[in-house]
Amino acid sequence: MMAGIAEKAAVKPHKKQTEFARVMKQLRKNKVAMAGLIVMAAECLLALLSPWIIPYDYTAMDMANCLKGPTAAHLFGCDDMGRDIFSRVLYGGRFSISIGIIAVSISTVFGIMIGSVAGYFGGQVDNVIMRLLDIIQAIPGMLLMIVISAVLGPGFINTVIALSVGSIPGMARMLRAQMMKERDNEYIEAAQSINCGRVRIIVNHLIPNCISPLIVQATMGVAQTITMAAGLSFIGLGVQPPTPEWGAMLSGSRQFMRQAPHLVIFPGLAIAVTVLALNLLGDGLRDALDPKLKN
Amino acid sequence: MLKYIGKRLLWMIPIVLGVTILVFTMMTFCPGDPAEIILGTTATEADLQAKRVELGLDQPFLVRLATYMSDVFIHFDLGNSWLTGVNIIPTIMERMPRTVVLTVVTLIIAFGLGIPLGIMAATHQNRWQDHISMILALIGVAIPNFWLALLLVLLFSVKLGWLPAMGIGTGIAGLQYYILPALSNCAGALANCARQTRSSMLDVIRADYITTARSKGVPENVVIIKHALKNALIPIITMMGTSFGRLLGGAMIIETIFSIPGMGTYIIGAVNNRDYPIVQGGTIFLAIVFSIMMLLVDLLYAAVDPRIKAQYASGKKGKKVKK
Repeated sequence: MMAGIAEKAAVKPHKKQTEFARVMKQLRKNKVAMAGLIVMAAECLLALLSPWIIPYDYTAMDMANCLKGPTAAHLFGCDDMGRDIFSRVLYGGRFSISIGIIAVSISTVFGIMIGSVAGYFGGQVDNVIMRLLDIIQAIPGMLLMIVISAVLGPGFINTVIALSVGSIPGMARMLRAQMMKERDNEYIEAAQSINCGRVRIIVNHLIPNCISPLIVQATMGVAQTITMAAGLSFIGLGVQPPTPEWGAMLSGSRQFMRQAPHLVIFPGLAIAVTVLALNLLGDGLRDALDPKLKN
Repeated sequence: MLKYIGKRLLWMIPIVLGVTILVFTMMTFCPGDPAEIILGTTATEADLQAKRVELGLDQPFLVRLATYMSDVFIHFDLGNSWLTGVNIIPTIMERMPRTVVLTVVTLIIAFGLGIPLGIMAATHQNRWQDHISMILALIGVAIPNFWLALLLVLLFSVKLGWLPAMGIGTGIAGLQYYILPALSNCAGALANCARQTRSSMLDVIRADYITTARSKGVPENVVIIKHALKNALIPIITMMGTSFGRLLGGAMIIETIFSIPGMGTYIIGAVNNRDYPIVQGGTIFLAIVFSIMMLLVDLLYAAVDPRIKAQYASGKKGKKVKK
């Protein structure tokens, strides 16, 4: 038993490494996607290190500099309470980017669970699950998120939940479709014929072979979720204003935008750059993961 | 064909019932005591209790659900606002057209510009026209609609003073109030449409029948529009359905920016005021509208593709094609 586990541990990372290396090699050829990856990595790093590198405390008010435009001391200017926008945008990346990543991770995990059950078993199970997903998808995404955040109330965790619920059906559907294509293959039959358990077949054999479109979808999904989180905060339902989440920053500075346009320009630009980078990376990943899809 | 429409309409019933149950169940978990929200914190316990009985809150959940369902589907009554006591349906009827106008105008702009942009990109593959339109598309997807709205207001209302920054107008002149909201809402859909058009045009443009048409001497623009586009249209139409849902959701936020008294301002205002019957009723109503739209999209397939029409008519493989 122990030996078996040790053997598996020794073999598995190696196999994963090569697959990962193959994708990375493909990705490295795609300059645009690499640019997206680099921008995204830089943003994550800046957000992570922000408490130590931001020039001003993100909550520090300086009434003398209220609504002051960009200067050498305050790169992106100051907001209505004299807080340094550059520091707030960097620190806000922690909230915006992590909301996107956490929400998408949750929806991917649930999507995989639901989708693999529906896709593998088919028949009535599939029918029931699909009809339930139909119901969730009959409510336009943004509206569903508004309703869920109304029920749960504002706040970071609640926003994450609201955002993840809405994107579960899409993920589940995608995995299910992939699974249906994959499950009639011979290697699955081989696994079944050696009395391999259902869970093991699904987890070890089917999911790894069905996951590539989900990775692409998840990358794009993070981008979309960041936008939607910002939208929710913008209308006052998501993360609440003193927190420097990008959407909340936009929402807080809307009333001052006539006197000081820079208040709304920089947080929005941060969202746009992040989304752009993630989309470029997603496009590149699609090409790298599935050469067939490339036109 | 009729049989298929009938079948799809019947399918809508469980979906709509399911949405109603789902939304009602979620809304019962809303924080706060409805009686206290209605009467305010100064009300006495006796008044609160009387209100609870009046609202039926003393009943078990399933009874309340059944009452609500019968109100909605038998009496077509979504209930009254807690704050104003006004019935919700007439208010929705008054506000819905504005949201629909906004969404439809946006959809028309997005597909009216997105399809030609995509065709241009596909017919000039890897040339500058292709690169420029795809860069534009990438930027369009990346810009959040509410941020674009703020920027457009800054430019066209504050700086240039060409267009109104908020509100609605009447008659033909009232359409100018929809220009900025529609423009800001359409960027994402336009970009997606252009990308989808490009890739599905590229799929068909090298097909043999296109070469045949060209060698027959059919003019190039006829080849593109009649032979290529018509065959590339199915995925674009599929996208139209999902775009409609997204635009409807996007309209919620856009309306609050431009103070358009549509469904978005209604529902979001109700969320902030904890006027839950409006949130509940509005959501169910919009879900029904969205389902009807998806049905129309499905029917559009048949109009575009005779093969699908034939399958609908025989009623056998219709379901397979839907996905």
